[in-house]
Amino acid sequence: MAVLAILRRDLNRYRRNPVRTALLFSMPLVMAGIFAIVFGGGGVDQVSIRILLWDEDDSLLSTLAEGAAGSSKADGQLDLVPVGTEGPAMMDRGEASALVHIPAGFTDDFLSGTPTVIDIVKNPSQRFLPQVVEEGAGVGAAVLSAASRSFRDELTQVKSMVDGQGFPTDLAVATLGSGMNNRFQTLESVLFPPVIGFETVTLTDESAEEDSRGILAYFLPGLAVMGVFFLAQSATRDILRDRESGLLRHLLTAPVSPADYLAGKCLSALMVSSLGLSLLILIGVASGVSWGPPVAVSLLALATAVAASGTLLLIMSLVGSERQGDALTTIVIIGWSMLGGAFVPISQMPDFLKPISASTMVYWATDAFNTLALHDGGLGDIIFNISVLFGVGLAFLAGGAFILGLRIRRGAV
Amino acid sequence: MIQIDGLRKTYDSLVAVDGVSFDVHDGEVVGLLGPNGAGKTTMINMICGVLQPDGGRVLVDNRDIWLEPKKVKQDLGVVPQEISVYEDLNARDNLSFWGSLYGLSGSDLTDRIDESLSRVGLAERAGDKVKTFSGGMKRRLNLCMGLIHQPKFLLLDEPTVGIDPQARLNILDVIQEVAQAGTTVLYTTHYMDEAEQLCDRIAIIDHGRVLALGTLAELTTTAGEAEVLRLSGDFSSQPSREGLHTISGVRVLRSDDTSAVLAIDPEGPGLLAVLPEVLEGDLTVDDVSIQRPNLQSVFIALTGRELRD
Repeated sequence: MAVLAILRRDLNRYRRNPVRTALLFSMPLVMAGIFAIVFGGGGVDQVSIRILLWDEDDSLLSTLAEGAAGSSKADGQLDLVPVGTEGPAMMDRGEASALVHIPAGFTDDFLSGTPTVIDIVKNPSQRFLPQVVEEGAGVGAAVLSAASRSFRDELTQVKSMVDGQGFPTDLAVATLGSGMNNRFQTLESVLFPPVIGFETVTLTDESAEEDSRGILAYFLPGLAVMGVFFLAQSATRDILRDRESGLLRHLLTAPVSPADYLAGKCLSALMVSSLGLSLLILIGVASGVSWGPPVAVSLLALATAVAASGTLLLIMSLVGSERQGDALTTIVIIGWSMLGGAFVPISQMPDFLKPISASTMVYWATDAFNTLALHDGGLGDIIFNISVLFGVGLAFLAGGAFILGLRIRRGAV
Repeated sequence: MIQIDGLRKTYDSLVAVDGVSFDVHDGEVVGLLGPNGAGKTTMINMICGVLQPDGGRVLVDNRDIWLEPKKVKQDLGVVPQEISVYEDLNARDNLSFWGSLYGLSGSDLTDRIDESLSRVGLAERAGDKVKTFSGGMKRRLNLCMGLIHQPKFLLLDEPTVGIDPQARLNILDVIQEVAQAGTTVLYTTHYMDEAEQLCDRIAIIDHGRVLALGTLAELTTTAGEAEVLRLSGDFSSQPSREGLHTISGVRVLRSDDTSAVLAIDPEGPGLLAVLPEVLEGDLTVDDVSIQRPNLQSVFIALTGRELRD
């Protein structure tokens, strides 16, 4: 009777404080959503790089660059703005990611083989986009340098044609064409076929949606496990609050034994954890996450709730105050979540951390949920995980209840 | 009847309760009067079965509270010194939870809640969260929680601490009503007026011991004091202070450089005969006050210090 009264009262407190309850239950969902957006790429506008091009040479290079920026391949990601001497002032005002300055005489110097420089002014208030421009310009410079060295004779002829009066003679053009052909034949084995090729594949909308669901399925199980631990923290924290406020002492003046009280609190922690996890699983299903066989998922959810409640009850039984309990349990939950694979897959961790991961309850729960959701596993594949979660969870529950009961009987309430 | 027999509790070297024995008869209101730290709360906690004593036992209607805790506690109502209510629940939720612990349910529980809240003037705030209540309102709700199941025995641990006079009067009225209805009450306080107003018998507690127990009249008589004489002035001279001890018919309870407290022996020559002798001595007396026999004078007579000390 008293056990159920305590359970009803705890659930009533969640009902009477809807904002707090909603925040508590939605926390892992919000985190999973953030992870999906950050790593899934969905929902974020494409970034456009704005580059100011100050071409004092009125060169072929800038014409080519402008053409490239306007091509359909650039798809609005490259915004190339031709500027004059006002370019540096625009950079001072932070109006672009970078300013590319092609000095006067650049084409002549390139054709004659004289070393020359392209200046790039980067916007210091931006971190990544100017770096992209710098890297791109570096590649361009390397290509031009290689061309300058490989076609030195031909470029010299081109320069003399450009510098001469009127149109070049047929003989001069034929000689240049013949020379270029010979040069290409010499370089054929190097240039054709390319040693490295690349192919761009654009995903259709349908496949992109599948990928987004995959990302959520990837993060939601781990974060749901972490969320269950936080829910258990909230439920078990009440024990310390009751103790410090005198509520527990008052409760024990009623026909309520310490065992009744602790059973009620354990049941309450289990119920809240299970409800929270069930809610997350349902929301995951609605978002397209396939959790796996329902029976296996249900058993695993219950085992996870037992493990979370047991762990938190044990910690709360050992600390002296609510503040200590809050600090210690938060450290344990975050630490276990990081080590246990809730944030980062275990496979990405250094080898020396992997055995430590296996010592956390989060690992056994997350690993089992991932086995079901990502690797099409069944109950047989996770039965060991479930056993560990149930076994250790129940042992922790018993240990925590024993220590708390002892402290209550000794008058530490 | 509540029988307390040789109750003892120590914390390391501190003896919090030192072999206390007394009975509270059915329908009686007994007050435990003593200063803060006297051991009153420790006694109440042991009597209501929250704190296990190192020695002694508590029988409630001849049942040992540590052997049959649930049966005994079913008949006990306890109002603790701390305000132990759930602030994020409303008043009705708190009482509903508390009543359900005693097996109340349905319309019986609802009726009790309504009756309790009306009795302490909180009916109109029944649906409000307790965190919006004033300190006095929380105290009144705290009292309701001890009364919701209409207990046979009511234990109250300083239920009026830190509240406004109006709320205090309301609480005292409710306790008097309950007592008149036949509930046996054990009431701890350090307010003498409360003890005088409410209690049939009073136990004077200090340093974990019962120094005296009886009705107000019995206490004043057994303490053997009629009146207390308080003097203030310059008593820095040791010989003159010692001279006070030579005056017949008085007992020096306490003296220091600026004050002295004397008990007038009711069997002696009396106040009017003693007072001139006191004033004619070498002491420089600035002020004299005479205290008629009451709990304060009894407490001073028993302990040599003021209750508020």
